[in-house]
Amino acid sequence: MQKACDVAGCNHCGPVETCALHKLGIGCHGTVVGVGGDQPLRRRLLEMGFCNGVEVEVVRRAPLGDPIEFRLRGYHLSLRADQAKHVTISQK
Amino acid sequence: MSSCCETSPPKSLAADITVALAGNPNSGKTTVFNALTGMRQKVANYPGVTVEKKTGRCRLGGNRWANVIDLPGTYSLISRSPDEQVAMEVLRGLRADTPSPDVVIVVVDASNLQRNLYLVSQLIELGHPLVVALNMTDISERRGSFVSAEKLETALGVPVIPLIGHKKRGIDALKSAIDRARIAPLPQWPLPDPMREELMLVGGGLGILGVDKLNQFKPRAKAVGDAPGSSVPTGSLSSPTPANYLALAERLLIGDHASDLDEISRHEPVKSLLHSAASRLTALGIDPMQADIEAHYRWIDTVTQGVVTTNPQTAPVLDYAQPRTLTQKVDAVLVHKIWGLLIFALIMGTLFVSLFWAAQPIMNGLQNGVDWLGQITTKRLAEGPIKDLLVSGVFKGVGAVIVFVPQIALLFLFLSVLEDSGYLARAAFLMDRLLAKVGLHGKSFIPLLSSFACAIPGIMATRTIESRKDRLATILVAPFMSCSARLPVYTLLIGTFFASFGAMAQAGVMLSCYALGILAAAGTAFLFKRSFLKGAPTSFILELPTYKVPQLSQVWRAVWSNTRAFVTKAGTTIFCLSIVLWAMAYYPRLPGVDNGVRRDRQLIKDIAAMHQEGARVMIQVTSQFRGSDEWENVIDAKQRGAKAGEIESNSTLNLQEKIDQLFSLTNPLLKAFLEKHADQEIASEQLSHSIVGRLGHAMEPILKPLGFDWKMGVGLVGAFAAREVFVSTMGIVYSVGEVERNQTKKLADAMRQDRYADGRPVWTPLVAVSLLVWFVLAMQCMSTVAIVRRETGGWSWPIFMIVYMNGLAYVASLAVFQIGRHLLHA
Repeated sequence: MQKACDVAGCNHCGPVETCALHKLGIGCHGTVVGVGGDQPLRRRLLEMGFCNGVEVEVVRRAPLGDPIEFRLRGYHLSLRADQAKHVTISQK
Repeated sequence: MSSCCETSPPKSLAADITVALAGNPNSGKTTVFNALTGMRQKVANYPGVTVEKKTGRCRLGGNRWANVIDLPGTYSLISRSPDEQVAMEVLRGLRADTPSPDVVIVVVDASNLQRNLYLVSQLIELGHPLVVALNMTDISERRGSFVSAEKLETALGVPVIPLIGHKKRGIDALKSAIDRARIAPLPQWPLPDPMREELMLVGGGLGILGVDKLNQFKPRAKAVGDAPGSSVPTGSLSSPTPANYLALAERLLIGDHASDLDEISRHEPVKSLLHSAASRLTALGIDPMQADIEAHYRWIDTVTQGVVTTNPQTAPVLDYAQPRTLTQKVDAVLVHKIWGLLIFALIMGTLFVSLFWAAQPIMNGLQNGVDWLGQITTKRLAEGPIKDLLVSGVFKGVGAVIVFVPQIALLFLFLSVLEDSGYLARAAFLMDRLLAKVGLHGKSFIPLLSSFACAIPGIMATRTIESRKDRLATILVAPFMSCSARLPVYTLLIGTFFASFGAMAQAGVMLSCYALGILAAAGTAFLFKRSFLKGAPTSFILELPTYKVPQLSQVWRAVWSNTRAFVTKAGTTIFCLSIVLWAMAYYPRLPGVDNGVRRDRQLIKDIAAMHQEGARVMIQVTSQFRGSDEWENVIDAKQRGAKAGEIESNSTLNLQEKIDQLFSLTNPLLKAFLEKHADQEIASEQLSHSIVGRLGHAMEPILKPLGFDWKMGVGLVGAFAAREVFVSTMGIVYSVGEVERNQTKKLADAMRQDRYADGRPVWTPLVAVSLLVWFVLAMQCMSTVAIVRRETGGWSWPIFMIVYMNGLAYVASLAVFQIGRHLLHA
């Protein structure tokens, strides 16, 4: 997968194969390989479409750094970093 | 339910069918609902929850009507938010207050097909006759993805009607499709094999245990041939099929918390059945819930692959270097680090200025209009309780309700434009970080901002917050924002007691009041969100929907229905409280006050005092008018005042004659002045004699440690009508008459000169600070109480609010006064 890591702030797109979604830099994308967190959060993340194998892209961060806007399944969604950290992304 | 009744009443709607409208938030469901039902809508609340229940009637053709229930917008039917729970309970027929629907129309956003189909997949499991309304096909086509309604219809097995909701295109087709609604064939969800096996095991086990006898568990589908309108009576069961047991097993295994499963899932053998199945699956690395959702989405992937064709020329690619869709281009500006914040500040500034200033003249005009109406309609009535009830009770009460209408209408004008356009979600996105620090939500920003103008629209604006706990926390802290009604109080106290400290000090005190309110809101929100309002972690999953041009008709509808709901629901409470407050200030009456005896006595007293003390009293009485054009006339009268004594000694005349005789000698202007003085004295005495006055006196021991005397106590009780009433109540207490806007000099002088019996001043700057702190923090506005009752659906939250806010205000004022006193004496 092509790197998009000339974007400042992304330090996990290089050699690291999997990383938490909130650490992904703006413009980076990857595939969901796991969803953690407690039951209600997991359920909601899964229902919103964060299933294994889905491609997610980081669109932007809010001006104050949090929340983060993502794009998946053709729509846009914002999560707090605190929630996004439960989604594991693979870059391969 | 109704099908069993042989003798139906003549107005029976037996021929009508019940249609539920389901859909994701932002799918355009409201637009479809409005297009279907026109103006025939009713908005109420589901009993016991704060979820709004919208129903309407839709003509299907001929004489046939459908009762349409607009379900809350939901992403799913299993999660436990109140909205989703209500939607699920209505669909499963578990709510006694709402009939189980005969047909379900599910609104699907074609431009966001996959996630919208997830809800459809859950509805298919429920087994209602279904119609899919494929909305926003125009947006998805503009993006180069064409959704084929025919192919989707084949794939799902239910009618699919393409719509452009805001242009009302396709609505007639949708209406006629209601008759063609069909129960979709249950797809084989591509579940992992071990899970499928476990489901069989659990399902078989449930069959052996005979769980269908345990409760009202209903098999999935009504018989396919059932005519719409005939519903299966609750409680009775056709014998469940293996498929029913399998579906039940699936629901239990994935952790569905619907209330119809309560009994089954508490049953011990079922518990152990589920437990062993779950642990076997966990050992294989399968989580039933996740496997189920992923299976649904895998099924959705196959469905969408067949029905969506993308035009590679216009389809957005996964490359954000070049935003392709309009929404992406707009977002590049609207949520930009600099431009985004600037535009946000501009929009919020406009909103605030409109609420704070633009609404003000309209509000004043309305209130004056109502007052004037009260004056002219009661002109012919004799003075007395009836007239006073009408003027100061009824018309003031109506005024107290009407006065909020401009602000509420303006607020909902803004809110619905912002929400319909899609900007509201962006505003929440921009502000979330700031508010998350104290445990609130990005969507709390507008309610809190509006509360600086008035807490009533502010609290109503919390309706945009989906999470109940976030919403409640916002409601509970919103009244800490210094509203415009506190401003006259701040101005009076600061102007009276800090004028000598200079303009900077005055501005500083004023700013501190606002800062203290914000601080109190932040602190309490932080505490609440970490204790009894500890929120679900799902509460900030925020969809950023496609931008749309708001529809004028939708905006108007939102303004109209919300304003009307305020007037009819909260308005009645405010009105009743106004009447109660009026009675408390009016009764009990002073002896002699109603037949004019007291007034005559007061006049005689003043005249006698004048006789005894000569010019000194005259000057005291008339000093209020010093500088006015009439002053010269008074001087003239003063010189003749000495003659008053001669008249008083003539005891053969009654009081009224004495007064008349006196004033025939003196200037009639003096008579007017003396009468006004007498009226003000009597009004003050009457207020002090009334329940409000007695409450003020009774509260004095409690208020003394804060530095307040009984007069301030009376002011605080009066301020319950609205905080600014404190100023006019003080005007009555200090016998200076009506206190007009910005003309508080007389009152300020009277307050500064007020002394306790031992000669200490009643008011000091420290007392003023203590009172300011009280006004910043205390919950003493009946309209806020009324709106909180309405928005939270009961009295417990408003009562909690009164207790905690006034408790906090008391402690803070006490600390300020006592610490301040020690520092000053040290």
